[in-house]
Amino acid sequence: MDWGNRKDILVFLEQKDGKALNGALECLTPARALAQHTGGQVLAVLMGTDNAGAAEKVAPLADGVLAVTGGDYSDGAADAFTWALEQLAAQYEPAAVLAGNTPLGREMTARLCARLGLGSVQDATALTWDGDTPVWTVPLYGGTVLNDVVVDTLPVVATTRSGAFAKPEAGQAGPVTPVELQVPADAVKVKVAQAVKELSEAVNLEEAKVIVTGGRGMGSKEQFALVEELAALLGGVVGATRPAIEDGWVSRAHQVGQSGKIVAPALYIACGVSGATQHVSGMSGSGYVVAINKDEDAPIFDVADVGIVGDVAKVLPLMIEEIRQRKAE
Amino acid sequence: MAYLISEEAQELLGAVKEFCEKEVKEQCKEYDRSGEWPKEIYDKAIEMQLHMLEVPEEYGGMGLSRVDVAALFEEMAKADAGFATTISASGLGTKPVLIAGSEELKKRACQLIVDGGFGAFCLTEPGAGSDASAGKTTAVKDGDSYILNGRKCFITNGGIASFYCVTAMTDKSAGVKGMSMFFVEAGTPGLSTGHEEDKMGIRTSNTCDVVFEDCRIPASNLIGAEGKGFSIAMKTLDQARTWMGCVATGIAQRAMEEAIAYGKERIQFGKPVLKNQALQFKVADMAIKIETARQMVAHSLTLMDQGLPYSKESAIAKCYASDIAMEVASEAIQMFGGYGYSREYPVEKLLRDAKIFQIFEGTNEVQRIVVANNTIGKF
Amino acid sequence: MEILVCLKQVPDDSVELHLKPGTQEVNLEGVTPVVNAFDTYALEMATRLKEAVGGSITAITIGPEGAKDAVKTCLAVGANQGCLITDPSFEGADTLGKSKILAAAIRKLEADAGKPFDLIFCGREATDKASGQVGPQLAEALGVGVVTDLVDIQQTDAGVQAKQETEEGYRLVDAPLPCVVTVNKPPYDPRYPTIKSKLAARKMPIPTLDAAALGGVAPGAAGSHVVKVYEPAKRQAGVKLKEETCEETVAKAIAMMADAKVL
Repeated sequence: MDWGNRKDILVFLEQKDGKALNGALECLTPARALAQHTGGQVLAVLMGTDNAGAAEKVAPLADGVLAVTGGDYSDGAADAFTWALEQLAAQYEPAAVLAGNTPLGREMTARLCARLGLGSVQDATALTWDGDTPVWTVPLYGGTVLNDVVVDTLPVVATTRSGAFAKPEAGQAGPVTPVELQVPADAVKVKVAQAVKELSEAVNLEEAKVIVTGGRGMGSKEQFALVEELAALLGGVVGATRPAIEDGWVSRAHQVGQSGKIVAPALYIACGVSGATQHVSGMSGSGYVVAINKDEDAPIFDVADVGIVGDVAKVLPLMIEEIRQRKAE
Repeated sequence: MAYLISEEAQELLGAVKEFCEKEVKEQCKEYDRSGEWPKEIYDKAIEMQLHMLEVPEEYGGMGLSRVDVAALFEEMAKADAGFATTISASGLGTKPVLIAGSEELKKRACQLIVDGGFGAFCLTEPGAGSDASAGKTTAVKDGDSYILNGRKCFITNGGIASFYCVTAMTDKSAGVKGMSMFFVEAGTPGLSTGHEEDKMGIRTSNTCDVVFEDCRIPASNLIGAEGKGFSIAMKTLDQARTWMGCVATGIAQRAMEEAIAYGKERIQFGKPVLKNQALQFKVADMAIKIETARQMVAHSLTLMDQGLPYSKESAIAKCYASDIAMEVASEAIQMFGGYGYSREYPVEKLLRDAKIFQIFEGTNEVQRIVVANNTIGKF
Repeated sequence: MEILVCLKQVPDDSVELHLKPGTQEVNLEGVTPVVNAFDTYALEMATRLKEAVGGSITAITIGPEGAKDAVKTCLAVGANQGCLITDPSFEGADTLGKSKILAAAIRKLEADAGKPFDLIFCGREATDKASGQVGPQLAEALGVGVVTDLVDIQQTDAGVQAKQETEEGYRLVDAPLPCVVTVNKPPYDPRYPTIKSKLAARKMPIPTLDAAALGGVAPGAAGSHVVKVYEPAKRQAGVKLKEETCEETVAKAIAMMADAKVL
């Protein structure tokens, strides 16, 4: 691939409460691979009212940090973020612009591509090389089909799937460069009137070592408590499928699957989960999978290391008891 | 081979199928256990206008041919026979008005349905089943009114209907010629519902006693003329029974589909059980019976649409379809083996649902009398 | 309010799709084309808004002749009129190309009707490629604002207020009109067509717009290309346990988990 004069890799790091999101930090890993081919630097881009805290954490993971301030870079200000990213793309002439495949990351890169006339890939799960040309793997049809895609325009624009890449190891801290970008009034078309936090619990499915997930087969909110009990016992995090969330048994922060979180714990226990593609594509990277379902033909058994054919209402209390005893011993 | 239907009906069929798959099929399993009438499912069906397929176009209906409607009914029956029965029984309850009622009554009955109501047909009494002429319910003319007294039983939609078409004796001495047909709206003082049947099958439909105690209705609610009630009732049943054949065919179709799906999945002796020709032949026999039943239903409905005589064909369709529905459901259970007998699997319900179709709207013995009379003639 | 809904016809997403064995071609045999689920949510949200504030909904799609069915489906559940944008030169357009074509079609429809669209709805993504690009890129092509991932919308004095779903709750975003919104799964389901609306939709004409009708718009070269299509490596299925009693099954499973050192 002819990179022209383009060398550096810009990585937009989305923040929440002054911290860069994990999914965004993972993006620094493919950025590093790209930089090795282009001979450039990995530049992490932070935008916010105060980037100091985040910059300090990010600096050891990148060659440099661009800390953008000077406008209303508050939570959800997509117009301002997009405009600033466009300015940085013009100023730094990067070889690639990457972001996590969050709603914001997707929207910003889509708009950047529209403004600059670029192609892009979204939700990339892997980066491989054809000589010097980066090849991105993207899932289609809920993950049953994969495409390997080459972006033909520069800078290469891509968003990556949360959980698909490992976070980079910390090294020597790169310099933090403050960048002052005043957002012009006409660049902002929509405004956040109010941000409401409904879910107070922190659910960190992406980094969990153990996830116990409940599906429609749990039957009721009361029975779903068994999932929570087992998760607590194993020091794990509670996951859920969409039906369980739609029935109001647990908040949507727990959703695992195509429209929720993509997870890869060491142990994944699926309780009363049928195993629809939309769900399986979000957990198939798990280390060891245990599935409990009374339907012997449930597709979840096709991806399970151990399948327990039985009623969750009977199996789970027995499991909890057995594990508790083992722990006591 | 399905019904040969119009292109527009094809499109409707897709929408009805999606609705039944998503809103009826699974939901009805629970109602089958509880025996509760699933109002929320019916509300959704009403919103989609599935309850008014038989309303004639000039009274606010859709103007579909009967065969088109049959294809839609079969789809509903496949999802749940009780669901299809409720809707079909509403058509039965409207037919006396459409056959012999005044223009005003036709408009009224159809409007009640278009507005989201159901009809019910009240003929059977504790002492008058196959012998409908033995009915004891009376209607006495009093000025501009009739006063009804009596008890009807096994009335489908009895507890949920917006209106009832009721047979009552206006002249006890005249036998069947003394029977008349009346239109009674729900909420009329003196009209009440009694004992609700706890049924073997079609448990998502409502069946109960309907009681008339000095129930006063306007004289204009007489359908047709005094003394014509028995004839109107027989014409009503003549038409309606083909629809029961249609619903029964749907049950059989569902049973076959379940049996095929299971036979492909169930592995015994290292291969799917359906690889055995013995079971393939069972499926073939099912298909032969179902297809024959369906085309008999279609033939009878085509005769109706063309204004030709259909009594014999209608009786054949109902009798044959319900007999084969029992056979196919039973064979489907056989193909499921032990699981077929379990309530966790869908086929035992089909057998319970199918049985009533050999009984109501004229038992299959009565159907055979109709077929025999129409075939042999008077001698 | 003049509302436009952009929709895409996709393979039925309740069917698990695979490649034809030995090829790089997705096997779509027997898979019904349907309206993208997120677009049906968008149409339902648009229809509820129309019912609340009055107005009219136009549904458009880019696709082959068969995609008229998708428009027809929408005419039965809220859309007042629709049109198909079709041209052999549109095949293979990427999201950027599609957003250009859609923008040209919107300009044309606005000119023909003599009034602009106030609000343009898209699904947040299509269930086939799930890239979520077309909505934001259409907004850019039209030079208007965009709010993504809506679960609700309301008309306000200054335009609309969109309820945007976030990780931990939601944001209320004010947008002046015209603007583009993309729709996530709202707390309600799309309505079913009524039998009558379905029959009526059948009889409604669905005009087509081709490249020439859109002033010779061209999607331009795609900005990326696919080099390989394949299926992900399957997880190996392990053992399925179904012992005499539930207790035995659980004991065996726990022993296996312990052996694998995951407890």
